Amino acid sequence: MDAAELDGFREFVENRSSALLRTAVLLCGGDRHAGEDLLQNALVRAAGKWQRIDEPEAYVRRILYRQQVGRWRLKWPRREVSVAEPPEAGTAGADTVAAAELRVVMRQVLSRLTARQRTMLVLRYFEDLPESEVARLLGCSVGTVRSTTHRSLARLRSLAPELAALDPARTEPRPSRDFSPMEVRP
Amino acid sequence: MNVEELVRETLREQAAAQGPAAPGLADRVLAVRRRRRVRRLASVAAATAAVVAVVVAVPMLDTGKGDVHPVGTVGRDGIHAHPDQTPPKDMIAAGRSALAAYYTESFVARTKDEGTSERTYRLLDTRTGTYRKDGRWSHVAVAPGLRTAAVLERSLPARRIGLLDLATGEVERWIPVDHGVGGLAFSGDGRRLVATTYAENPDAQFKKRNPLTGKDGWVGVHASPRTGFLLVDPAAGTATWSRVTNGPGVLGRADFAFTRDDRLLFARIVGSKDGMEQFYDLAGKPVTAPADERHLRWDVGARLSPNGRLAALGLAREVDGSPGRSYSSIRDPRTGKEITKVRGAQLLAWADDKRLIAWERVSGLEEPYRARLVLVTLSSEKVVPLSGTRMFDDDRETVEWEPVFVRR
Repeated sequence: MDAAELDGFREFVENRSSALLRTAVLLCGGDRHAGEDLLQNALVRAAGKWQRIDEPEAYVRRILYRQQVGRWRLKWPRREVSVAEPPEAGTAGADTVAAAELRVVMRQVLSRLTARQRTMLVLRYFEDLPESEVARLLGCSVGTVRSTTHRSLARLRSLAPELAALDPARTEPRPSRDFSPMEVRP
Repeated sequence: MNVEELVRETLREQAAAQGPAAPGLADRVLAVRRRRRVRRLASVAAATAAVVAVVVAVPMLDTGKGDVHPVGTVGRDGIHAHPDQTPPKDMIAAGRSALAAYYTESFVARTKDEGTSERTYRLLDTRTGTYRKDGRWSHVAVAPGLRTAAVLERSLPARRIGLLDLATGEVERWIPVDHGVGGLAFSGDGRRLVATTYAENPDAQFKKRNPLTGKDGWVGVHASPRTGFLLVDPAAGTATWSRVTNGPGVLGRADFAFTRDDRLLFARIVGSKDGMEQFYDLAGKPVTAPADERHLRWDVGARLSPNGRLAALGLAREVDGSPGRSYSSIRDPRTGKEITKVRGAQLLAWADDKRLIAWERVSGLEEPYRARLVLVTLSSEKVVPLSGTRMFDDDRETVEWEPVFVRR
């Protein structure tokens, strides 16, 4: 990289690393250190091809997703995932407390999914990407996205019987919208 | 709620709880890359093999051409511009800063002698990348990262603070407070919230006769009803109140906000110069300004550059023409000495260390002032329009909309 490209790389990392780290930590089941490793590795990869990358963020995200679902990752030793204690109930109402407890349970069971299952849920429900885009990003078919998502949700229910209290009638993934904001370049 | 919605909420909550990436990441990445190149020629040291192995084992990817473009993704220019839109309909952003919301302001008479100035917000729907009207709130502060906003209901001072999910528009949690709140601001890391407390609505206005003209007019409260602030931990739902004694320069609404390092608070005061600020510690005691913030102005929202080396200050020069050109001052934060001037009449937010989002005029100096959001660059005359030209009511001296910029 020449000096201008180095500046551009530093600028990109400064501007986008916090947002990318949020996704990386989710992909790692809430493990901040693993998320930082994942992001750092993706950025090292991007730095090596910086001159040829048109859309740096899309490129880094794609590496994050693919690193996480790659076969090697399945062989990686499982880390101990620390989960924060439930927030104090304080003066909040009973519903709020119940919802907060359910989210704590959900955090724990999300960390017990396989990397591939978790990545699918992050793409579908955090990034809100439609199935076709998830398929394109991960290099698999829409049918695979659909079945993996379905199995991931079923796995969550089996890991946490508390979730059975939630509405069982709506178990199909909700359709996501296509929402690419228009980008105008000077 | 079903399982998918709970997954969505949990992931968002977990993401919002993450602090920013540690500084110096780019340099660490470049160092790892240099080491990796060296190690290709030498044997790999066992202690650091894991990191390198991870990199080597990444499946080979193409150059990224043809990649899809998920929400929030930006190209190298990092610009989302809509120069045909006023008020904006679609997301406006440049570099690290995004227009998270904007509001309009109007006067609402409650009785024949009393009323309030009220805001109506349009918030960025992060799922569609568009702005959506949400008339429920009198005051909104968006957390860095654009996932969550803290909101106050219409009646001020408010007795509870809502945490709003910007993707769904639903309040995820209410935090009851034992002091009435009138203003909100998040810390730079998004983990704390300062809620300014008031004994009465700080936006109340009263009909008074002007002794000079003999005509009735609406005027705001003179002595500020500000009582102090609550430091709120949004994740835990807890809040601690501190009393702040108002000095003579505290008038009307004077909301607190965090300094760059989140260790102190500041609020505007009216004094010998425009834009003056008073700083406070987190117990509410007045303190001297931090060395790098003592030259800043509360009415210039951009404040310090991301690397902290430059201070954005006020309008320094105007040049007539069609349209006219404005220049604002960029100063050394510690000495206050001007380093350069940059295009723009009002510097609103830094896009990165070299570019800022600003209001810049589209009219000549002799014409009524009309401005649009633009992206300006240090050491450059280049001005990139980001929004359409904002309308201005010359009779009422009110603007069509006010932007709220937040770090993405």
